[in-house]
Amino acid sequence: MPTITVDGVQYEVEEGRTILQALDDLGLLMNGVDVPHYCWHPKLSIDGSCRLCQVEVEGMPKLQIACDTRVSDGMVIHTTTDRVKSAREGVMELLLVNHPLDCPICDQAGECKLQDYAYEYGALQARTVEPRRALKKKVDLGPTIVFDQERCILCRRCTRFCSEIPATGELGIFARGDHSVIETFPGMELDNPYSMNVADICPVGALTTKDFRFKIRVWFLEDVPGICTGCSNGCNIFLGVANNKVQRYVPRRNDSVNDTWICDAGRMSYQEIDSPSRVKASLVRGEDGVLEARPYAAAVEAAAARLRRLVESKGPGVIAGVASAHLTNEDLAVLKRFLEALPTESAGLPVPRGEADALLVKEEKAANAAGARALGFEDAAPLVERIRGGGVDGIVMLGHDLLDPAYLGGIEALQKLDTVIWIDTHQSDLRHVAHVVLPGRHAAEKRGTLTNHAGRVQHLQPAVEPTFEAHAEGETLERIGRALGLTGFGGDPAAGSPTASSRK
Amino acid sequence: MVISEDTRAAIDSECAKYPQKRGGLLPAMHLVQKQLGHIAPETAVELAEIFDIRPVEVMEVLTFYNMFFSAPRGRHNVYVCTNLPCALRGSRTLLAQIESHLGIAAGETTEDGRISLGHEECLGACAYAPMLRVDETYHENLDLEKANQILDGLE
Repeated sequence: MPTITVDGVQYEVEEGRTILQALDDLGLLMNGVDVPHYCWHPKLSIDGSCRLCQVEVEGMPKLQIACDTRVSDGMVIHTTTDRVKSAREGVMELLLVNHPLDCPICDQAGECKLQDYAYEYGALQARTVEPRRALKKKVDLGPTIVFDQERCILCRRCTRFCSEIPATGELGIFARGDHSVIETFPGMELDNPYSMNVADICPVGALTTKDFRFKIRVWFLEDVPGICTGCSNGCNIFLGVANNKVQRYVPRRNDSVNDTWICDAGRMSYQEIDSPSRVKASLVRGEDGVLEARPYAAAVEAAAARLRRLVESKGPGVIAGVASAHLTNEDLAVLKRFLEALPTESAGLPVPRGEADALLVKEEKAANAAGARALGFEDAAPLVERIRGGGVDGIVMLGHDLLDPAYLGGIEALQKLDTVIWIDTHQSDLRHVAHVVLPGRHAAEKRGTLTNHAGRVQHLQPAVEPTFEAHAEGETLERIGRALGLTGFGGDPAAGSPTASSRK
Repeated sequence: MVISEDTRAAIDSECAKYPQKRGGLLPAMHLVQKQLGHIAPETAVELAEIFDIRPVEVMEVLTFYNMFFSAPRGRHNVYVCTNLPCALRGSRTLLAQIESHLGIAAGETTEDGRISLGHEECLGACAYAPMLRVDETYHENLDLEKANQILDGLE
């Protein structure tokens, strides 16, 4: 392995890497060793067009671009010399020659590399007296992205992304010199399942998503690390939170899971958190057959009472548990313990399925199917047969995936059940058959772990608090278990439980 | 398909000269433009299929070079050189006079579709300035009278 010296410190690096790649491998890039760059991106091909990453390499008469200069043994690199600084200043001045400097109305302000580096390396005053190029400020590139031609610095990250990652190649650079603009083929749109990533990798405010555009200033956002729950890939994300509301998801780099990308469907799934279809109230079906809102504790008592009556009349074996592949390992462990303590062996795991692709999207449309299986929950198909055959009288249902066409396909088979306890985050037809409804918590609202398709266990932490009373599903099961007097369910569910959901 | 069989055969023999097929794109575009007068987006799609590249890549090349046209042009492309030696010999005045003679500005096409007029950088005929180019023919040592005669003679 070659040894290189960067600013007086020696590092062992991998053969064949470029200087920027080597620094990135070491975790030092912009994190100890600052080599500013626009066109270079760790997950895209090398372009070498922005010229900002120039560094001094001993023995080479001219400055070299760090993104496309390969390391060699004994290479001595300087990133902070006056020559390097003045080169950066020169490049910044050229990049800013035509930039509109409309930061006050630009959505990128606050997370803009041009802004950051202009602050660090830019001149306070432009030396040009010529007018800046006037181009289109609002080009509709497709269903997800809006493009501001004036702000573009032509780093080509977006064009390379489209041709290399989703391999759809919608974007190109048209014309030449300072007439150059990013465009799509005439009549075509930027429309692929990963299109919104171009807004993340755009180092300036040229490409913005229609969803987040003008929503909120980014400096009001707290970036809470989390996991996308759209499928079993478990892409790492930051949840941008302001005013106790998740305003957006952006990908968080994890080279073992999602590199620096996330699919558009996953990105937009933040809307489920604050959706009008959330289960917001604890409900109990009264004597008249109508669901009524009750305090959470009373609904827990009602659930326990119904289950107790069933256990006393027919024994615990007629009660079935339905796990949800959306829940955390901790929630599911409580369900497992709950069913074992009843005791009943009747359980199943419905997993919603859909389309997969070769990049990130997986077939299983839930974040923790692997974790649920690891805990011993098996596919719900046999349970569906048992329900249809009349072998089940009571059901403790987490989530509503059992209604999927692949499983029950509807509520019909559940209508004759004596007891349906339903704990869920979002509304479904189960409200027509449930006797007790208890609100659950979205992954953005609780602590816990999720196991992705490859068996990687990833951590969740609460990013927002629900605006209504909702407890993690495991916590609710703890309370029902305690009300039932089940073995092992004596403790304080909120304090001791690993699913304790409150934020601080 | 708008690219003719003859053009297609010529493209194939051009491509054979390059280690990578896409290297033949520029000569292919010249051939297509020679046949059709311009390269419309639909033609770019056809070219992309021939070269097994994305249509947007053909558009990138097409828009990069001034001498490729994505929209129909007049039957003759007339370019007046306005680079320094020609300018010193009065080419800018000549261009202005040609503009008023034809009733169009540089960059426009006459209503009858006969002539598209433009100005051009150096064509290497400085010793015979001022000069203009009609399609692929140079006309040198011009004055207005000579220029008008040439233009009026175009079909």
